Amino acid sequence: MSELVLKTERLDKVFELGKQKIRALSDVNLQVKKGDFISIMGPSGSGKTTLLNMLGCLDRPTLGKVILDGVDVTNVPEKNLYKIRKHKVGFIFQTFNLMPYLSAIENVELPMEGTRKSKDEKRKRAHELLNTVGLSGREKHSPTRLSAGEQQRVAIARALANNPAIVLADEPTGNLDKKTKYEIIRLLGKLNINQGTTVIMVTHDSHIATHSEKMLFLSDGKLLAKEKKGTLATEKMLKCPHCGQKLPEDAEYCLHCGRKL
Amino acid sequence: MLLVVIALGFSMAIMICIPAGIVANQEATQNLSENYESMISDMQEEINETSTLIECRTSSRQGRFAGMPSGMPKGLPSFGFGQEVFVNETVVDEIRSIEGVKDVVPFLEVSSEETTSETMDTPRGSFTISRPLYTISGVCLNSSFIDSYSILPTNITAGAPLHEGDSGVLLISSNLSDYFGVEVGDKVESYGEYFTVVGIYEPAGQGTSGTRQVYMSISDTQIITGNTGNSSRLDVYAEDVSDVDGIAEVIEAAYPSELHVTTYEDRLANLENMQEMYQTTLENSESTLSQTQTTAFQEIVIAIGATSLIVLFTMLYTVRERTKEIGVLKAIGFSNWSVMSQFMVEGMLMSLMAAVVGVVIGIVGAPILSSLLLPHVSLFPTQGERQFGQWGEATNLGIFQSESTAIALDPQTLLLAFGAAVLLGALGSLYPAWKASRTSPMEALRYE
Repeated sequence: MSELVLKTERLDKVFELGKQKIRALSDVNLQVKKGDFISIMGPSGSGKTTLLNMLGCLDRPTLGKVILDGVDVTNVPEKNLYKIRKHKVGFIFQTFNLMPYLSAIENVELPMEGTRKSKDEKRKRAHELLNTVGLSGREKHSPTRLSAGEQQRVAIARALANNPAIVLADEPTGNLDKKTKYEIIRLLGKLNINQGTTVIMVTHDSHIATHSEKMLFLSDGKLLAKEKKGTLATEKMLKCPHCGQKLPEDAEYCLHCGRKL
Repeated sequence: MLLVVIALGFSMAIMICIPAGIVANQEATQNLSENYESMISDMQEEINETSTLIECRTSSRQGRFAGMPSGMPKGLPSFGFGQEVFVNETVVDEIRSIEGVKDVVPFLEVSSEETTSETMDTPRGSFTISRPLYTISGVCLNSSFIDSYSILPTNITAGAPLHEGDSGVLLISSNLSDYFGVEVGDKVESYGEYFTVVGIYEPAGQGTSGTRQVYMSISDTQIITGNTGNSSRLDVYAEDVSDVDGIAEVIEAAYPSELHVTTYEDRLANLENMQEMYQTTLENSESTLSQTQTTAFQEIVIAIGATSLIVLFTMLYTVRERTKEIGVLKAIGFSNWSVMSQFMVEGMLMSLMAAVVGVVIGIVGAPILSSLLLPHVSLFPTQGERQFGQWGEATNLGIFQSESTAIALDPQTLLLAFGAAVLLGALGSLYPAWKASRTSPMEALRYE
């Protein structure tokens, strides 16, 4: 019933290193529904990041299609690809990658550069986003004055700036200590439930992966058939007794069928 | 970064200073040529007006064009060097009796007792000369002479001119009155006698080093210097131009050693001589100028090249340094164009900063820089100055002193400098910015 936001068809990627050909991805078929929280697991070199780059339009597949929000991005010319990246995709990196010379709020405003939003609108949106990730009051701080967890929160806010169709997270907890890891994964889970953000997370940390809804396994460029159900990290998760959809913890009415809980 | 900006600033300063130096140089040459022309035409006019004048000077005064050894300061300003020889009244009467002579105007020109030391700077070194402070011209104050001939200065700036019968008074040149600090009505001492200043006149020609002079009655001069009846110069006026040659011959035959005679033709020949020398001087300075311009052009090309290269390498380094940042920008949706323009703006900002530094260096160090970079500046030949230094009252040394090559950083030059900075910044960062925009985001993100 939920529409597909992302779909790949027979995705192949071959890297040529001199004479050697390395098949990083082979025949990957993936379907992501709106509001999904998927984690992709696999050992190093299994092609996780390659897949993510392909989904985020940073790289093109050798064969196959990526259909993002109804658009076949493999057909979009290079010079227009930035628009897809800007409006449809939000990136979260392992190393946060904030601009060190910009303040937290300016970092969040960065993806909105060149959009039709006015300066005030951008500022307002950035404030909202920082509030959502729990950093209100820290707007003017430079990334160097924020802790690793806080930096990742800013990065998450930045990824959400243009209301993307999907958020791609590449090892978002890889550089964090145990406590902060769970805070971040909980934040992602909360966003997923409260705002219906579609998240695709790449990780090799199985503990982290279990906090997503669905776990996929990648091995030698192939998506393994087995899938696993995870439990979302939000402690008190509500489900609508009528239609079975997941709901925010403070919901009184079902967001999907509208009936009182 | 700071070092880069300073280095850039230096090459900017070079670019600013050189054109300014060239402009100053051009102006100096232009001035020189204008001064020459106005002086020549003044002289021409004077010569034309005095076609019937036969100038007879006692022998110590000649040698204006008498082949002075070049490079020697000898005979620089003329008056009072060598012994002073005079002729007495009988000579005046005898010349007056020659047929065709209309008038004989006697002068007594003597040097002041006071002397002054002056230091002259020339490319061959500087030397100090001592010369009389001023010249006293004793003029025969006969009203018909005063009316018919230009024997007294006409451009009186204060007070009154001299009249027939005046005694104990003098007319003083403005540069001398400034020197003494006297005004009309004050007294000036000369040879132990006091004279009242009745008028101040502006000496011919520009500059401050025009001849310092006083005019007074010839009889006063004769009395104070003990030369009763003597004259040092006789201006003989013929009835008609056709008589001039005959009279000159008679005078020369009668007083071969006492008097040196110059006629209209001699003076014209001298003028032509002078013109030729001026021409040479001008040509010299013009060729110097063109030489300087060639050097300047080469230096500017080098400076522009250096500036662009500095920007190029700095920006290449910056782009490399920030590869990951570029990757992130592209991943979050920056277009190639916006990445490129960002680096272009950065390069231009850097060179604008450098331009500010360059202007500061330029203002502080312009004279040093331009003398270092333009070795031919200020080579106006000075030999001419010395040789032309003696043309009677019309002579004016001032205009030949080489104009200083002061560098004026006018707003136009500054605007040009900033414009050039932006342009060179853009030029230098074009390739690095393009390279940045082409970076593959995937590879850039992997870059550590």
